[in-house]
Amino acid sequence: MFLKPMNLKKTPFFERHIENNGRMVDFSGWALPVEYKSLLQEAKAVRNSCGLFDASHMGEIIIKGQKAFDFVQRLTPNDIGLIDVFGMQYNVFLNPEGGIIDDLMVYRLEQDILCVVNASNKEKVLNWLNSQNEEDVEILDISDNIALISLQGPNSCEVSEKVFGKDISNLKYMHFLKKEFKDQEIIISRSGYTGEDGFEIYADWQKACCWWDCLVEEGREFGLTLCGLGSRDVLRIETGYSLYGHEIDDSTNPYEASLGWIVKMNKNFIAKENVLRFKKNILKRKKIGFIMKDRSFPRQGYKIYSDGREVGEVCSGAYSPNINKSIGMAYVRYDLAAIGTIIDVEIRNKFYKAEISELPFIKAKIKKQVSIDI
Amino acid sequence: MIDLKFTKSHEWVKLDGEIVTIGITDYAQHQLGDVVFIELPEMGDKFDQGSQFGTIESTKAATELFIPLTGEVVEINSELSNNPQWVNENPLGKGWMIKIKVNILSEMGSLLDEGSYKKILEDEINK
Repeated sequence: MFLKPMNLKKTPFFERHIENNGRMVDFSGWALPVEYKSLLQEAKAVRNSCGLFDASHMGEIIIKGQKAFDFVQRLTPNDIGLIDVFGMQYNVFLNPEGGIIDDLMVYRLEQDILCVVNASNKEKVLNWLNSQNEEDVEILDISDNIALISLQGPNSCEVSEKVFGKDISNLKYMHFLKKEFKDQEIIISRSGYTGEDGFEIYADWQKACCWWDCLVEEGREFGLTLCGLGSRDVLRIETGYSLYGHEIDDSTNPYEASLGWIVKMNKNFIAKENVLRFKKNILKRKKIGFIMKDRSFPRQGYKIYSDGREVGEVCSGAYSPNINKSIGMAYVRYDLAAIGTIIDVEIRNKFYKAEISELPFIKAKIKKQVSIDI
Repeated sequence: MIDLKFTKSHEWVKLDGEIVTIGITDYAQHQLGDVVFIELPEMGDKFDQGSQFGTIESTKAATELFIPLTGEVVEINSELSNNPQWVNENPLGKGWMIKIKVNILSEMGSLLDEGSYKKILEDEINK
């Protein structure tokens, strides 16, 4: 029951998690806290003040070389030409069938491109990139050297100003800066996975603890709360964000996952034809959000019924402490995906009513100072 | 005198004559994380020792509740439906779940006293 994280990889903040009674779990081979005291309180803190997450398990891959841009452009459907140096973009790697190998954040550095990928998919992505390397780029896995701290919530800007200086408030959403602080080069991006204003700090693995401690210290007066993976999941579900292995996987195409907005037809990319086919054909299933009408807790894998016929399956579920309802995301048959439709979720051989509702459940409050092309 | 007993599946039992109160232990609530809601039986429902009488939905998982003694439900903590967090805050007090009238007094012998239960917890933690 209490996990003994002996064979698990430890992030630089492992000792901090233990000191703060983090309930450690195995997350893709990493020992990470699922919660400290209460996942629900942590998820509320991020909406009301701010929270600090250890995301050091994420994979960081650098693409180097003259054709790094062309390489990433060919492997992804979003147009990285739309972002400038020091801009970032949500994107996916597609397999030849048009399924999603992984979703990622693309950071345009001065010369190189940084891809931030899911820990669970890192090896798969590296294999894929190496097998597709026609441009002869250099593919460097720097994950072991890079720690990632995510500061999220309405107070995160004030906390960042205290730690990184006043100028940080000028950083635009989905942009980053690379800067020397305290003799260390770090990357700070204005981004996150919660729908709140937030900053993600990439720092040297060996020296990252000073940033963690500094943020905790300066964050105290702003209600900074240490947050685990559990609240991260609740927050991303509230915001309607997909998580690999839940809403998206190798067999999901971007359109059914409501990711049509990242598919740019004015460029070429692997699987473009197959993806186009999805766009033209009527989709079989669609990602939806739903709110449980009955007291119940939807979880991944639960079947969804309509008039007694199975029509879909739950991808993610959570109790939202911010809207005080059980919510979830699911795939259902396309013709039954209209907002307002009542569906039955089968939980322990009983049907519980749910209503298909608009996504996101909680609108993102991120500072959209740049136009986002949807 | 009220006597507190435990089960291996982390329920507690307060004996008060032939009426016993049932809940889950502090260890159990801690393992579950935030309790979100609880499915409890109805008044008059009868259960055999060890059978499932309810389910706890917590942020971690759906967890079955097993009845420590054979009996009939005579009271339900209906306030838990609006205050599931009581199971986390005060599992041995406000977080009680049901009261049953026991049928087979000899089953009492199968329950654990506090010392034996603590030993089981130690074994579980050291596993």
